[in-house]
Amino acid sequence: MTENNHSSADDPALVRAAQQGDMEAFEELVGRHRDKIFARAYSMMRNEEEAIDLSQEAWVKGWQRLRQFQGEASFGTWMTRIVINLCLDQIRRQKRHRTESIEELDEASGGVERQMPVVIVNPTSGLERAELRQRIDRALGQLSYEHRTVLVLHEFEEMEYKEIARTMGCSIGTVMSRLFYARRKLAALLADLKKQD
Amino acid sequence: MDWEAQLKLQAYLDGELPEAERRRLEATLAQGGQSSLLLAELRQTREALAGFEKEIQMPESREFFWSKIEREIRRQESPARVPAPVSWAARLRRLLVPASTVALLAIAGFLTIRNDGSSLLPGGTEMETALTDTGAFTYRDYSAGTTLVWLSYPAENEPDDDEDAVTLQ
Repeated sequence: MTENNHSSADDPALVRAAQQGDMEAFEELVGRHRDKIFARAYSMMRNEEEAIDLSQEAWVKGWQRLRQFQGEASFGTWMTRIVINLCLDQIRRQKRHRTESIEELDEASGGVERQMPVVIVNPTSGLERAELRQRIDRALGQLSYEHRTVLVLHEFEEMEYKEIARTMGCSIGTVMSRLFYARRKLAALLADLKKQD
Repeated sequence: MDWEAQLKLQAYLDGELPEAERRRLEATLAQGGQSSLLLAELRQTREALAGFEKEIQMPESREFFWSKIEREIRRQESPARVPAPVSWAARLRRLLVPASTVALLAIAGFLTIRNDGSSLLPGGTEMETALTDTGAFTYRDYSAGTTLVWLSYPAENEPDDDEDAVTLQ
């Protein structure tokens, strides 16, 4: 496959070529999906350097495991699952070295989200896309790893409750509780950011 | 609203509620109230997040990022450096070098001692070593009429005592 062919080939053709050892085909796949893989790592880790390192590691693993890819899901989805697993491993390692966050304690003691007042006015209405992105970015950064991860897997990866539970190694009830807390906390944070303006 | 009802509302939003429960909840929602407000808030949050990741871009250029990946792939694919197997000749050399050194030292020591009883050492003294028993050394001083025998270990078939040297007059 020539360079010109690489850029015009679809993902399955590039994957087949890469599975035969064609590194240029793999390079093309990296070029196509690198933003998505990085974005997922960044959403979960909230740290640019860490997200770059983890997405790089995901691509190296992707190359090494390419023969295992059978095409049940799209290549992009397959790669996303690799980076999610790497992020979860990293979060578990980091969790061993830190104490429980306030959010986790709240969750364990009954959950403040049950008493939070409902945000009636949409805090994101009338915002420019860039500003909205910035606010969500800040709000996501204030969530604990556990709550953010559930939110990312549900909202961005579009996983179902049971799939999230399997991926994170917890019960469906925990997933539902964390997701509910994450959403309510996010709504409150976005409302606070609006008030500050 | 109790906790279970709040989670059911969320499950309804996410399309995870069974059909029968979904219908019951829709009937409740039609009446308005707190559950409708909470559902609206949950929906707003979900909508705010939509498309958020699509705007995130890798800060490194495609070429630079790929060069790091390629380098790491090649590094991991290169065979691990294992020590070269040692040949039999090399192993034999390793054994022979110290053995021959010991043998040369023993010959050199032996040649310093005369066979006729006179010694190369000053003061009419003589030192002997028996090759059959390299653990024993004899020192003889003719002028003092003294002979010392060093045994570096207890001789076979002899009582084990702490004396390492025996003086014979």
